[in-house]
Amino acid sequence: MSLVVAEITKRFRDVTAVDHLSFTVREGSLFGFLGPNGAGKTTTMRVTLGILKPDEGSVTWQGRPMDRWGVGFYGYLPEERGLYPKMRVAEHLEFLGRIHGLDKLKARRETARWLDRFELGQVRSKRIEELSKGNQQKVQVIGTMLHDPQLLILDEPFAGLDPVNTALLKEVLLEAHGQGKTIIFSSHRMDQVEEICQDIALINRGRLVLHGNLREIKKSMGRQILRLSLEGNSVFWAKIPGLQLLVERADYLEFRLAEGVDPNHVLKEAMDAGQVIRFELVEPSLDQIFVEKVGEGA
Amino acid sequence: MSVIPVLVKREFTSRVKGAAYILTTLIGVLVFVGLSFLPPIMERLSSTFVPKSIDLVVVDNDVESSVLPFLVELSQEREGLAIRDLSGWDERDAYRLVLDEQLAGLLLLDGPLATLVTPDSKNVVLNDEIRNLVSQAATRWKAAELGLTQAEIESLFHAVDFRIREVAPEQEDGTEVDHVAQTQATVLAYFLLFMIYMALIMYGNMVASGVAEEKSSRIMEVMVSTVKPVELMFGKIIGVGALGLVQFVIWISTGLLMAFMGRTGLMGVMFGMTEPLRALPLDSILWFGLFFVLGYFFYASIFAAAGALVSRVEEVSQVVSLLMMFIVVGFFAAYISFLNPNSSFAVTASLIPFTAPMVMFARIVLADPPLLQVAVSVVIMLGSIIIGTWVSSKIYRLGILLYGKRPSIRQVVQLLKG
Repeated sequence: MSLVVAEITKRFRDVTAVDHLSFTVREGSLFGFLGPNGAGKTTTMRVTLGILKPDEGSVTWQGRPMDRWGVGFYGYLPEERGLYPKMRVAEHLEFLGRIHGLDKLKARRETARWLDRFELGQVRSKRIEELSKGNQQKVQVIGTMLHDPQLLILDEPFAGLDPVNTALLKEVLLEAHGQGKTIIFSSHRMDQVEEICQDIALINRGRLVLHGNLREIKKSMGRQILRLSLEGNSVFWAKIPGLQLLVERADYLEFRLAEGVDPNHVLKEAMDAGQVIRFELVEPSLDQIFVEKVGEGA
Repeated sequence: MSVIPVLVKREFTSRVKGAAYILTTLIGVLVFVGLSFLPPIMERLSSTFVPKSIDLVVVDNDVESSVLPFLVELSQEREGLAIRDLSGWDERDAYRLVLDEQLAGLLLLDGPLATLVTPDSKNVVLNDEIRNLVSQAATRWKAAELGLTQAEIESLFHAVDFRIREVAPEQEDGTEVDHVAQTQATVLAYFLLFMIYMALIMYGNMVASGVAEEKSSRIMEVMVSTVKPVELMFGKIIGVGALGLVQFVIWISTGLLMAFMGRTGLMGVMFGMTEPLRALPLDSILWFGLFFVLGYFFYASIFAAAGALVSRVEEVSQVVSLLMMFIVVGFFAAYISFLNPNSSFAVTASLIPFTAPMVMFARIVLADPPLLQVAVSVVIMLGSIIIGTWVSSKIYRLGILLYGKRPSIRQVVQLLKG
């Protein structure tokens, strides 16, 4: 019961945008789809939705090819936002609802409900072109959710939103997640992915780099990050081999421990050097994993 | 349920309320009303150029026989015409008098040769008026020499009353062609033909730029994830077509109303239709409807594909200019077919999908072509529409997500094969 992307390949003339890519999205999960610019995220999403036909491979949802599922079972937020600039907000949303299979009455009702939810009630009869970028973005997001789709595919949904609206969208996504919807979204902001996703896939240059449960991925990366703060000789670490300074914060230093370095040994050395205030082994952040994995490939 | 009605409705309602649409409709109505009142207005305007009095100095070098006495005779009959006979004067002196007193001109006569000496050869109205006077006087002069009476002169100009009677091979007698009715049919055909031509260009362009707009505003991406490209294309074509139909019903009604009132305007001047339209030419209008729709669907699908190949609205005109050429050629083919609607040229042109909508329509209104030819033409059009929309929808499907550089023709062909 899931979305299965199996061995898809998509070439554009002599460029291979996606190269034998496979991953699985569990039904009802919040799935983060990551990768640097030009990694093939948008192409993968387009292939998943059937906008582009893959040269090889297939995409299935609950065992059936994507195109067998009628209109309205998914909602798609493209990276390149697009709305009819001359249409009025409510009119536009009703239109989007209608092409996703809602009847007139339902489209109108859902439009009103979602405009309220996103605090856009007062702009309902303005033209799209009169709205701010952020509000246009919100209208577009509503357009993907209006028809109550089971599967949401959102390409960079947080791009261009201020912190208040980011929080609002996060809340809406978590709410949809609570209703059992499957949500796939791509993002550059690792903190957002880390905050709300259970599963991720990281791709680079059209190939899969990492895939699975976020917590397990982090665990498997090992507790190799050390946060240390001490009063005394703070440069003692220079003589310990395998200790690499990552960041120097105001109140602590962050190191990476090389393979085979015993944290206890480091602690001892630190205690000899002065008064240890903080000594903490932490999992790497998704940001660090991202940089490390993508950096490896480059 | 198909989404096409929803798409058509959006296309129609979002444009029909737009200022651009309302404005062009109104301007069109104004142009039609304006054009139909144009001839009387032009007449009034040009009449202000006609001089109320013509003061002409004549120097006649021929002593024996001359047009001069007849000019003098005319000047006695007509008000505002004065002839001063200064024969024997030096030409220079006579011309100086013309310049000093600002007279209409100096006319030098030498037997059958008449020369107007004037400081302003560009004053066409005045010079034509003088030419007319001289030739009228000349007719009288020659008639007098031959000893003809006024009645004999009249009969010289109206010797034969020419009529046309069309008799079909199987008919005994046939009917005499009503000249007025035929003129009206020609004028109407020309008017409606021009309407088809305008509609194809206007709405073809509207379809192409509409598609390009959707591409450049990236709404296309949302649309193609839910709507099939073919549905999207037909939604646009039908929506714009409905807009066009409404606009043209308004315009043609205006034109016909003016024609009923006898305001036949420029068409009347060009084709000699001066009487008010007698009856509503219902069958012509129905044929117009048919070929409007056929021609529109054929061209609109191609225009849609053209619009899908560009990524910015500004590039549309480059791509559609080629298509416009086809429409212009069709219009001229129909225009030539007017001269002989049953020529082999006209028959051929009425079977080629690019020219058929205009040529076949012109032929039907003018010439009653064999039913078989009409049927074949319509079938060819329908077939071309099916093939055209099929090919176009493939190009459309591939083109709408194609951004950046416009693909070459070879690439388009490759895409179609793939």
